[in-house]
Amino acid sequence: MSRAGRTALGAFGGALAAVLVLAAGAPGQTAAPDATQVQKLVTWDGNRTLPAHLIPLRDENDEPIIPTETDPLPYSARFTCGPCHDYTKIRDGWHFGAMTAVKSGRPGEPWLEVDPKTGTILPLSYRKWPGTFAPESVGLTAWDFTLLFGRNMPGGGPAEPSDEEVAAHPEARWSVSGKAEVNCLACHNRSGRQDQSEWAKQVLRENLRWAATSAAGVGEVGGMASRLKETWDIYDGPNLDDHEWAVVPSVKYRTVDFDSKHRYFFDLNYQPSSERCLACHSVSPKDAAMWSADADVHAAAGLKCTDCHRNDLGHAILRGYEGEAAETGNRTAESFTCRGCHLGENAAGEKSVMPGRLGAPYPKHTGIPLVHFKRLSCTVCHSGPKPQEGFTRVRTSRANRLGIYGVATWSTDTPAIIEPVYKKDEKHKISPQRLVWPAFWARRVGKEIVPLKPAEVEAAAGDLLKPEEHIAQVLIALSQVMAEDETPVLVSGGFVFAPNVDAGLDAVERTGAKRDAPAFWGIGKGTDILPLVPDFDPAAEDKDPAVETRFLEFLQALGTVLEKPGEPVIVVKKTAYRIVDGYLDIAEAPAELAGAAGPGWIIEGKFTPLATDFDVRTVTAKAGTEQTLTEEQVALVLGALGKTAAGGDPVYLSGGRLFQIDKAGNLAARKDKAAGPVTWPLAHDVRPAQQSLGWKGCTDCHSGGSDFFFTKLKGTGPLLTKSVAKRSAASFMGLGGIFQRIFGLSFIVRPALKVVLAICAFVAGALLLLAGLVALGRFAGFMEKR
Amino acid sequence: MLFTIVTILAVAGTFLGIALHRFWTTREEAKSTILYAEVFKKYLAWLALRTVQMSRKASPKAWWAYVKGLPLWREPVLERWLYIGLYGSFLYLAASGFFFGIFIPRGMFGYPLVGHVTAGGLFAVCLAIIVLFKGRDFITVPKPASLSLSLLDPRRMGITPARVKLWAFWLFVAAGFLLTLSALLPMLPLLRTAGQKFMFEFHRYSALLSVAAAMVFAGLELFEKDRPSGLR
Repeated sequence: MSRAGRTALGAFGGALAAVLVLAAGAPGQTAAPDATQVQKLVTWDGNRTLPAHLIPLRDENDEPIIPTETDPLPYSARFTCGPCHDYTKIRDGWHFGAMTAVKSGRPGEPWLEVDPKTGTILPLSYRKWPGTFAPESVGLTAWDFTLLFGRNMPGGGPAEPSDEEVAAHPEARWSVSGKAEVNCLACHNRSGRQDQSEWAKQVLRENLRWAATSAAGVGEVGGMASRLKETWDIYDGPNLDDHEWAVVPSVKYRTVDFDSKHRYFFDLNYQPSSERCLACHSVSPKDAAMWSADADVHAAAGLKCTDCHRNDLGHAILRGYEGEAAETGNRTAESFTCRGCHLGENAAGEKSVMPGRLGAPYPKHTGIPLVHFKRLSCTVCHSGPKPQEGFTRVRTSRANRLGIYGVATWSTDTPAIIEPVYKKDEKHKISPQRLVWPAFWARRVGKEIVPLKPAEVEAAAGDLLKPEEHIAQVLIALSQVMAEDETPVLVSGGFVFAPNVDAGLDAVERTGAKRDAPAFWGIGKGTDILPLVPDFDPAAEDKDPAVETRFLEFLQALGTVLEKPGEPVIVVKKTAYRIVDGYLDIAEAPAELAGAAGPGWIIEGKFTPLATDFDVRTVTAKAGTEQTLTEEQVALVLGALGKTAAGGDPVYLSGGRLFQIDKAGNLAARKDKAAGPVTWPLAHDVRPAQQSLGWKGCTDCHSGGSDFFFTKLKGTGPLLTKSVAKRSAASFMGLGGIFQRIFGLSFIVRPALKVVLAICAFVAGALLLLAGLVALGRFAGFMEKR
Repeated sequence: MLFTIVTILAVAGTFLGIALHRFWTTREEAKSTILYAEVFKKYLAWLALRTVQMSRKASPKAWWAYVKGLPLWREPVLERWLYIGLYGSFLYLAASGFFFGIFIPRGMFGYPLVGHVTAGGLFAVCLAIIVLFKGRDFITVPKPASLSLSLLDPRRMGITPARVKLWAFWLFVAAGFLLTLSALLPMLPLLRTAGQKFMFEFHRYSALLSVAAAMVFAGLELFEKDRPSGLR
């Protein structure tokens, strides 16, 4: 072969090989384009301004949104923000990646599943924090978790489950609701339109894929996915047969915020404003007035939450605790602890960190013994409310549903969270913590306590957990026939029970009423309460003719009670009033109704009061308290749970005690580790220096009766009982109470000790100096003779 | 860790020094050779022998008899209680301080700490009274010195056991003063964290100094008492 031929053959071979290699490496024609090939992720060029975010919206199918077209889909953060900001990286961040996080980090506030009816306060977390249960271990799927807590979630995580999770739980309605993607605007939206309440509303309506659009005010969302059939799909479009009830969610975009190229203007912050953080992270003392609340001293100095709690694109928010840098490998974290910023020290106390970031002052700590810095975290003296008798009860956004506004009252008093509980952590440092007592029904299998889902408990309990419901149903039914100024009530045990707008019962104490007086149904009229069934003689000729008309109305109203146990009847002095064939039947009470009086039900020919003794006794016992269960109810429900097929002994935990039925069949309470309180460190609000512990001296804490060491903590929970755990503040610190009392009392004589030491030092020092001078003088020959 | 090492070295060095002094001044074999290695070997052998002898003799009964035989009990009542206060508080302070300082990483805490503070107060008071009323007994009056190279000659410095004992007393007083000062100052609103840290270390090393001084003083005092009169 000629040289030219050899060259051509070689070139052809090389070209063929190159084609084959490229062909092997190239994606198939039908494959989706690799996201990394089309994405041009932004990197900071050093300019400290934020670019105007006038960008085209894209939906979850990565199609551009034309706001004026019919039935546009909600915008998708993944495809709208994703082209510039790596969505897959962001979704592993602290707020979204709990399900997949390898390290749990320092304990934080758990999610608290609260169900007043069953008396459940169950701490949950996908992170392995002490005292919390993994949602899946108590039967909660990502779907359940999202509906329970989505109101305070920024999308992503459980609200954006993997395809495997979706396939594993076909009963979940992800195909109807869509997934709630990471909601960038929940934090980064600078617009005042960002509405946490709207987000919560959309989550409860199961409008997950629409929630971000609606909450940010990008568009107005109507319809409820929760009312649609599980077979509905986003591609099915509107429900043409129903414009009233099962209305398909839809978006009406604010077209004024779009330009002619259908680009939407996002008013964004690079660093989220503190208000966005506080939407889900507010903590306030219960019953405190807003005007009296002081801001965190850092906020008062002009800092934002994100000035310290920073993150990179991975959104691994710095939490700011000592040891975080070692746990995460992120050395920057050392700069953003209290010690790092104010002292320039890392967790080991080495001066290896640049102090004074953002103008953090260097604390003098004059006269404070070193042991305080070794044994106490900075927050002990500087954060949270000051110690007081009985601690401070607070409410948090996530636990008590704060900051969600609407017609209904969303915020709740329960669960009861208290602070500051000074507790020794695993590093033997004491730090202030928040505390909640868990309460839940469970089965004990061996030594393990397995919580039960509230629905499971309700199913087994039947009517045992419904006394309020029963009475409320009767009162609501009667309210239909009341005059405008009348309210049907039940009077019992010194309390007046009236129905409220949430179909529950409100109990108001009746001044001057006897606690042991028999219960009766009445009509509240102003401050007066008249009996529902007046005392009259049905046989009298001069009786009020209006009475029978009123009785007819009552009986008709009672006939509408949802779960009525029988036919309504009113018995007055051996005369029974009933409705027969739609008319009021007045007849002598049959023998079965002998002894009966007042309104009631006829069940299998026998008279039963409108509310059973159990129902009245139960609601009366709980009236005026926060508790939602009585010991009698717990005993009965435990009995009912014991009859179900599931294995393990049923138990109930509340107030730091475990309750179970003993061998004698009585309710018995005992200590159990699982009933112990769940705590997590608090860091804010940081108080000004003058309000820190120790500012007024050692006796701020070290005295014979200081609240810091000796205030008592009683277990709280939904169960009305005296069997609750009792602990002193010192016990959480791992310190002996007696010793602290003795040590505290020693501070009475401390001033005298200081004076004595000063005199002794002066005497010894002066004589020492004198002796030295004498010796020196003699040595130098100044003093020849003594 | 550094403090532990320094403590071990200081205490061991002081003990061995006192023992060497006793060996040198009481044992004939110490003068039998001029070779340091030989002297050192004999010293070690003597030290081992004494250790064995003392351990054989030691028993609670023997210790009790020794304590009862101390001249302390023959002092007038005020002085007796003054010395009991000083010795007792110093022993507790040293024992608790060095035990927690060396063996407990957390440092002193709890009841031992309360006891330490209380004993510290007692020690300071006793020390001040002793210096005030007994210090004069420990004043040594050196002769006026002349400027010459002989000032640098150890053999001409006039270092005698009696003078070392006096210096040990004043060193003990000085250490006690520093201990009192370093306990008092952190209690006052004067020192910042760095000052507190310094005082903490200062307190520990002052305590070490006081222990070393006390060892020298006690060693020489007891040696004087036990020494055959012919060798004094």
